[in-house]
Amino acid sequence: MIYLNQAATTYPKPQCVLEAHTASLYSGPVGQFRSSSTAKEPDIFEKCRCSLGTLFGIKEWKRIFFSSGATDSANAVIYGLPLSGKNVVITQTEHNSILRPLLNLREQVGSVTIVPCDSDGKVEPADIEAAISEETAAVFVNHCSNVTGMIQDIAGIGKITKKKGVILAVDVSQSAGCIPIEADLWGIDVLIFTGHKSLFGTQGTGGYYIKEGVEFRPYKYGGTGRDSRQLTYEKGDYEFEPGTQNTPGITALNAGAEYILRRGVERIAEKEQNLMKMLYQGLENIPGVRVYGNAMKNQGPVMSFTFSGLQSSDIAYILQNGYHITVRAGLHCAPLINNAMGTGKYGTVRVSISDMTQEKEIQSILSAMTEISAGGVIA
Amino acid sequence: MKIMDRIESRERCAEAGWYAYDYLFDEQMKPEFIRRLHPLGNFVYLSMLAKPFFKVESDYFLIKGIEGDNFFRIAVHEAHQEVLEIIEEFIEGIV
Repeated sequence: MIYLNQAATTYPKPQCVLEAHTASLYSGPVGQFRSSSTAKEPDIFEKCRCSLGTLFGIKEWKRIFFSSGATDSANAVIYGLPLSGKNVVITQTEHNSILRPLLNLREQVGSVTIVPCDSDGKVEPADIEAAISEETAAVFVNHCSNVTGMIQDIAGIGKITKKKGVILAVDVSQSAGCIPIEADLWGIDVLIFTGHKSLFGTQGTGGYYIKEGVEFRPYKYGGTGRDSRQLTYEKGDYEFEPGTQNTPGITALNAGAEYILRRGVERIAEKEQNLMKMLYQGLENIPGVRVYGNAMKNQGPVMSFTFSGLQSSDIAYILQNGYHITVRAGLHCAPLINNAMGTGKYGTVRVSISDMTQEKEIQSILSAMTEISAGGVIA
Repeated sequence: MKIMDRIESRERCAEAGWYAYDYLFDEQMKPEFIRRLHPLGNFVYLSMLAKPFFKVESDYFLIKGIEGDNFFRIAVHEAHQEVLEIIEEFIEGIV
């Protein structure tokens, strides 16, 4: 199988991730604040927070909290921030993990303003600035589109949110581990990430970062293993990770983050951009293929195309069942950006890669699409 | 053609608002069988491909498959699931 659906979940994982996950399952269970183990070295939770902090450019890495993924994180963030009766500015490129909590947790959010993107998925920081009003409390931005691979100018947006005094929350689900992130430098107040994409963790891992000083409350309460007598949080001294943690998952996530730190996120980005360039250029030259964006502007490891005469789901079916190439078809849980692209009805074929993707796999999909194009449509 | 099984598709979000099923047959789908599906709706057959693809589309359902496989997929609109019985009868009538 040739797996080019890495934007959904990366596969395969680096060997070190497999080994760390397995070793964790073989080891005695550990839990934060619950065991009597010595404190000679940081536990896996601290290690992982620190690795992620280094990767994301977050000095206060202890304020990174684990969750089951980006959706869980987004719900925690949207519930936890003081957004009641306030306006929230988002972009047209957001994933449903942001859109649905914002549009359904109505008691938590006053109103939502959606800033448009162009057909490649680019959002102009000036348009975000224009959308911020007196009522705006926060701006949510998707760093890298999971449909077109467009990377937004977070540093530029961060200057605006700082000037306006509003919270900047950035969803780095698609960029974490493959695109450089400098959260502190860019003025990010809240960061949302998932573990199972380019961070090479397992499904069911992820987290969020809340900058010190940002007002925040938990949306889940429960056992934490710390001060069991305390039943209510009167002074706002909240805890954000109740329940038994996903230790094997966090161990694997740490192994993935350490792999990226050793390899260098810039090197990963360079490798992926070269493969994406080959993909864009190859597809652009195949009759019937329409590519959205280009390798110069859309620099994330994911891209979209459509094919004249067949629906995107047909192309995905042919690739899967005729060529054993896995891609994804549809709206990719990001319906609004598809409207900007003109693909709101049938969606696109999405091809996405990771650091594990090989050049020959790109050649395979290009050969398959060339053959499909040459096959013609007989009606 | 004998239908051996009907399995609800695992890809739930691929066909939004539709229900998808994979139909398993007792033999591989040959060109003659595929061409016999033509009366069911708009017919597309990419017979030049190494693994030829076909699609039959109407207002309420969509069939797609690959020649040589022993299964195809049907997506049916949630309000018109009764057409599945008609399609099943039609397929089992193809000798």
